[in-house]
This record gives sequence, structure tokens and C-alpha cells, in this order.
Amino acid sequence: MQLSVNEKTYTVDETPDRPLLWVLRDELGLTGTKFGCGVGICGSCTIHLDGAAARACLTPLSAAAGRQIRTLEGLATENPDGSLHLHPVQEAFIELQVHQCGYCMSGQMMTAAALLEKNPHPTEEEIITAMDRNLCRCGAYPRIRQAVARAAEIKAGG
Amino acid sequence: MTTLVGQSAPRIDAAGKVTGETLYSGDLTMPGMLHMKILFAGRPHARILRFDATQAEKVAGVVKIFTAADVPVNEYGLQIPDQPVLCGLAPAEGRVDAAIVRFTGDQVAAIVAESESAAEQARRLMVVEYEDLPILADPESALAADAVLLHPERGADNICVHDKIRKGDVAQGFAAADVIVKAEYRVPMQEHAYLQPEAGLAFVDENGLLTVLAAGQWTHVDRKQIAHALALSEEKVRVQYPAIGGAFGGREDLSVQIVLALAAWKLRRPVKIIWSRQESIIGHGKRHAMILRAKWGAKRDGTLTAAENIIIADAGAYMYTTNKVLGNSTITESGPYFIPNMQADVIGVYTNNVPGAAFRGFGAPQALFMAESQMNKLAEKLGLDPLEMRRRNALKMTDTLAVGTPPPNRPTVLDVMQAAAEKFGWAQPAAGARQPNSALARGRGFAAGFKNIGFSFGYKENCWARVEIFGAKKVESVTVWCAAAEVGQGNHTILAQIAAEVTGVPLENVQMVTMDTLDMGNAGSASASRLTVMSGNAVKGAAEAALAKWQSAERPALAEFTYLAPPTTPMDKETGFCMPNFMYAYAAQAVEVEVDTDLGHVRLLRVVSANDVGKAINPAQVQGQVEGAIVQAQGYVIQENFVSRNGKPLTDQLSTYLIPTILDIPEKMETVIVEIPDENGPWGAKGVGELPYLPLAPAITAAIHDATGVWIDEFPLTPERVLKALGKLN
Repeated sequence: MQLSVNEKTYTVDETPDRPLLWVLRDELGLTGTKFGCGVGICGSCTIHLDGAAARACLTPLSAAAGRQIRTLEGLATENPDGSLHLHPVQEAFIELQVHQCGYCMSGQMMTAAALLEKNPHPTEEEIITAMDRNLCRCGAYPRIRQAVARAAEIKAGG
Repeated sequence: MTTLVGQSAPRIDAAGKVTGETLYSGDLTMPGMLHMKILFAGRPHARILRFDATQAEKVAGVVKIFTAADVPVNEYGLQIPDQPVLCGLAPAEGRVDAAIVRFTGDQVAAIVAESESAAEQARRLMVVEYEDLPILADPESALAADAVLLHPERGADNICVHDKIRKGDVAQGFAAADVIVKAEYRVPMQEHAYLQPEAGLAFVDENGLLTVLAAGQWTHVDRKQIAHALALSEEKVRVQYPAIGGAFGGREDLSVQIVLALAAWKLRRPVKIIWSRQESIIGHGKRHAMILRAKWGAKRDGTLTAAENIIIADAGAYMYTTNKVLGNSTITESGPYFIPNMQADVIGVYTNNVPGAAFRGFGAPQALFMAESQMNKLAEKLGLDPLEMRRRNALKMTDTLAVGTPPPNRPTVLDVMQAAAEKFGWAQPAAGARQPNSALARGRGFAAGFKNIGFSFGYKENCWARVEIFGAKKVESVTVWCAAAEVGQGNHTILAQIAAEVTGVPLENVQMVTMDTLDMGNAGSASASRLTVMSGNAVKGAAEAALAKWQSAERPALAEFTYLAPPTTPMDKETGFCMPNFMYAYAAQAVEVEVDTDLGHVRLLRVVSANDVGKAINPAQVQGQVEGAIVQAQGYVIQENFVSRNGKPLTDQLSTYLIPTILDIPEKMETVIVEIPDENGPWGAKGVGELPYLPLAPAITAAIHDATGVWIDEFPLTPERVLKALGKLN
């Protein structure tokens, strides 16, 4: 089966029902996508499928084949000198010192990035509705809210 | 003047965590790695009769199935070794009978295979025959005279802890009281629900060192327990922490470490495990459920005269840290107030539930829910403002605590109460009281809290660090070694700030070497809100000593320093008398809630939290701790509902155990940082991690009372419980 992840093509030899999460982590070594609950509740494994936020733990491999998959590792782009050019969401999460333990942050940032793709200028209510799908046990929610709004500003050139 | 201490310096772990480069335990792999699955008991209380792995061993790819017979010393425990590493039918090398399983999360076998799927398949083929035993589902039934004994090796009843306070004369105290308030409070278990489930990797390195990589809170004590169970000297074992995906106390006790170490040691191959969420929830301890009975008396002017408390805690199947947790409840059960006459019995009881364990606040949230609720009710009875009631009893330097000795550092409860009241506008009349023709009722509540910073009861509280300074003409860069655990609280960032402050280098020129037992001294645990004081002082001391050497021309200049906190003393068994701590910190909160009196929903609208942190080394991290603690405490009080039936946890998924989301948090959370320096803290700093957790529960129930006129002495505040309290549901 062929997978397109972060604009690279991979051939994997796995059963079609295997969750994409474990293929990404165990077969492709992309451990930026985290395992948190395995039942689609916590959002730690959020990735993009054709630009939309999706749960990698609930996505069977067969449903991911032929689609554009993006993980945290593909969020930043590479500068000509090889250094990373962070995504506005990553920049904002650093600027506002959002993370504590950091484990949920991959999923938080992927959800936020997908939101901003669809809706570059979300209202506070739209931010809360979108981010309600990602748990953070450290309780960094006030800063997540602020950082998503800030990321929208950065994206708009602010 | 400080340049870095006191600044909201950016976290040093930010870049790795936002790009995904940072590796957590479950992200690690090694060539030739094997995979482990644990067979859990899955039943609360039973005797293992027969064990058959014949079919399981035949599964292709299975390398070895470890059972009790393979564990050299089959016992472990952070406080006492009362838990088998693996339950089973082995000749008893440990002191505890390993043939008995005492809670559903007891581990029965560790299956190691070339792939996870082979290990999983073999686990399904394991045959264990049990004889079920009577289940002790709650502490009250475990206290019955005819209750089955869970730990006959430890005595003739199921009581694992009994702390006592006998201070003054309570009979005289109650005789002098004008009002008495009696009540019974019940508080639930709470699941840590850190987003990273337990995971780890163990291997034997090229020097023959058994290395265990798994998130914890205290590297050196993890190593000690692993070495004990494997009958190895501690020097043969190395514990290192990868990045830690939350802890909150729940990683103080071991989970995957010993079985991983055992397998790697015996097989001489790397072995990895990741627990599922269900395994995590049944497999690690919980905040202790407690029943708290209180009788408090006060004079007409509000002065407290006496308190008589009985606290019964569900310790679950094994001790974990119940003895220390209850020690803390014993101290904090007075609230931050002076009570001249006190009697208390604080009892921990073994049951067949998941063990009670460390969790942010460590016994103080439960005791303070009782104490602060008593204060609010006494204030109501006396017609006093709850803040005024507290002012009249607030602990002073010359007063004595429940344990009979004065506080070791200046009590700042008046300061934090004042700060919270001012920011909230407590003195102004409440706005937006009950609307006519509306089911929505609003109310305000107030509570305070206090807790020790640092280990207690005679433990020789210490923390080690090493600092090396590089540079020829001027100090150019610095390396800091300290084993302290970064569980998310920001400890490594503040240690780098401290090293940079002392040596004058920019923050980015500080290299941190951390969370390892190899070539490092003991830092103690990431618990008791202690690391800012303990590791902060250790790094400060080492940096100052290294700088002195550098100034006398040593190149590079290296120094080690062990910070020793002022000594404390253990609790007297009969009276509780002791000098248990060297430092306390104080917090106060004012809250506003809205109760939907038709639906029973409680919404937390506003929290003002004032915390005396001594000195905020990094204000942004302090604020993060305050907000995070409020969110977690809100979950505890309003939302999280850990359900066990007859010893079996039913809420063993994040789909059934619901924790707060971004939608649930208070609309307004306001942090007031109070800075009253402490002579034993670096730049005066105290700890903060647990403090803002403490006052929230009693403040919320006081606000509900203000809104509805009803006291609710039990939580979580599910709609059903609220409606029952309002008399709208039978």
C-alpha cells in the first residue's frame, strides 16, 4: 500500500485495518503523532487527511491510502539553508509559552492548523469549538485559546 | 537586582516540543527490540490456583513469559514493599503473599515477544485459574471486625495508617463554644489522566548497565526499587527519564519499570512496552477517596475553640504513599487557622480498590474541603462574612498548628486572602443575583488553603547539583547537572535561569543534563511542590561555588553542592506532636458560580486565585501552574466521576472518565502572584504547583450555597447530586 505523508511517498506492507497511528509511529518513525487513548477522545493523535483534522488512532490504513497525510513533522517547512521555518501555529505556541508537559501539543497544533486553513480569521467561539476536541491535562487551555488567535494574526502577516 | 530571575524567560524545552523532536518514553525504539504485554488480574480479590502458559508459549514470536517465579525478590513499594511485582505461585521470596491478587491492576505475567501482536495473541491464550475471595469494596466494610485481611503480614486488621492528633482539651473547647457545626464530607477518587500512558524501554548497555527509560518523578528511588526486586546492586541499574507526558503524582509509584528491567536483564535484549489507556487507568494509583467527619466549635465573635475530626481514607490494595498522604491530611485538617483544642484520628484502610496514591495536593485537598467548609458553615451560623471569620482565626507565627508546634515560616494566609478579596471585589455587593423567573442562580464563595513545601516528618530533605563553568577570559557557557524531573511544570527552565543569573551568561548558553542516575546525585522527587526550593537552592549553591573557583582562576571551574533543608521531626504516634515541615505556602480563592436549578448544572464563571510564591522565578510558569491547577481541581469537583463497582473500575477509558476540555474552563481565571520572600527559598521563592488546587472545592460549594441556600458536602457535583440536594430528585 502506498501512503503520502508530508509530501513524501512511502510503501508499507501492513494489514488494511491497522490504525494509521501505529503505521506512522512504528513503521515510518514519525513519533510526533502521539498515542493518548486509542478511542478518538483525547486528540493527541490528530493529523491532517487532505487538510482536515482527523484522528490517526481511528483511521484504518485503508482509509488513509491515496490521501494527503500531514503530521506534526510536516507542519514546519524547510528554509533554503536547511533550517526549519515554523508554522504560524508553532510560532504562536512558543511565543505564548503554551505547553507544560507538551504531550498533547502535537494534536493541539494540528487541530489549530487545520482550523486556520479552513477559517483564517476565527472568532473566539470558533476557536473554542474547534479546540474542544483536544484534551490537555496540564490545563493550558487559556493559552491554547490565545495562541490560536495569535497564530491567525501571524498567518495574516501580523 | 536580578536580570533573569523574575523574568518570564521562554521555556528551554519549547522548540523540541513544538516540532515533535522531543521523545517521550513510548517514542523510543532500539534495533532488535522485543515487545511486552502485561496480563493483569482483572479481578479485585482472588487466589491464584493454577497457571498454564503452554498454549501461549507456542505462539510464533513469543520469547519468554515471565511469572512470579522469575522475580528474584518479588516485592516492591515506594514506602513499604507490600506489593508483588508479579502475582503467582512462586515460593515466597518476598514478604507479601504473591498468590493473592488484591486489585484488578495486579500484574500476573509479563509476555515478551518479537512483535506486539504476538505478545497480544499469547496474552489471550494464558490460562489462570482463580478462586475468588470476598471483596472489600470500601474502607468502611474493610474496617468490620469480620472483614477478610488483605495484608495479614502487616497486622490483625486492614488499617494501614492511623495518625492521631491530641492537642489541648477538646471537651473544654466545645464547652467554651457558642456554636458547633457537625458534618460528614465525602470526596471521590480522582484519576490523573496524564495524556501519556505508561511506557518504557529497558536494555543492558555496552558496559553491562541495566538501563530503564521510563517516565517517573524520582530517578534515584525508581532505581532503588528496581534494584531491590532484581536483587542487583544499585550501581548495576541506571534510570533515565525521557520527556515526561504529565505526572501530577501518578508516576511516583512504579508501573512498567521492574518488569521491563527484569526482561531486559534476563533476555539481554531491549524490551519495550506501551500501556493502553485502560491499562493505565486500572494500573496506577488514584487520589484517595475519603470520608471526613468534623465537629468544630467557635465563640460568638468567631474565635475557634475546638475541632474533632475523623478521616477515613481508601488506601486501596497497597500502601503506595498512603502513610505520607495521610500525614499531610493530618496537618492540613485545621485549615490555615489556629485551633487551640484538637482531636483527630486519620485512618487509612486497605481495600480491593485501585491503590490511593500521590496526586497534586497530596492529602491536603480532601482535608481542606472539610476544614474550609466547616469555616464557611460556622461563619453562616454566626452571621459573619466568611472572609472575616477567617481573618479572626488566621494562623500567626506565634500560634500552633494541629501538630502542636508553631509554623516554621511566616504564615501569609492573611496576605493571600486580602489579595484575593481585593482582586475579586469581595467587599462589593454581589452583582447579578438570582433573576426572577429564571432557573439560573449565581453565588460567590471564598476559601483558603495551605500546604508544606518539601518532604516532611524527619526526612533528611536534600537535593544535589553540579555546575561547570567554561570560558577563558570571561564566563562563556555553563553546564548544569541535576536529576530533577521536568514533568511539565517548567523546572528545567527555572534551573537554567538560576544558573544563568548566578554566572552572568545568557540563558541559551546554559546546558542542562538532567533526569539520570548515572554520574548524578539524588535530587528527590518532583512532588510536594519542592523542586523550586530544593533544586533551585542546589543549582544556586553549585553555581556560586563554581563561580568562586572560576574567579580564583580555575578553568573550567566545576563544583558540586547538596542543599540540605532545615531538619524536621516525625509525628508522635499518640499525640501527633512534631515539627513536620520547614516551609508552608498559602493560597486563597474567591469564585463565582452559576447553578441551573432545573438541570443541576454548575458552571464556574470566575476564579480569582491569590498565591504566595515567595518570589516568582518565572511568572509565566507560575501563572501556568495556577491555571492548570484550577482546571484540574474544577474537574475533580464538578465533572470527573471515577466509578468502581465492587472493586472493578468502570470508568476505565477517557470516553467514560471525562476530564475538562477547553469548553469547560471558567470564563475568567485571574492569578494574583503574592511575593513574600522566605529565608530558605532561592531569592525567597516557595513552591506553587499544588497550592492553587487546594481552595477550589470548598469555594465552589460555598458559592453553590450562596446561590441556592443548600450545602453539598459530597462531590463530584453531578447534575443528579445537585438536583437531589435541591430536593428536586429523590
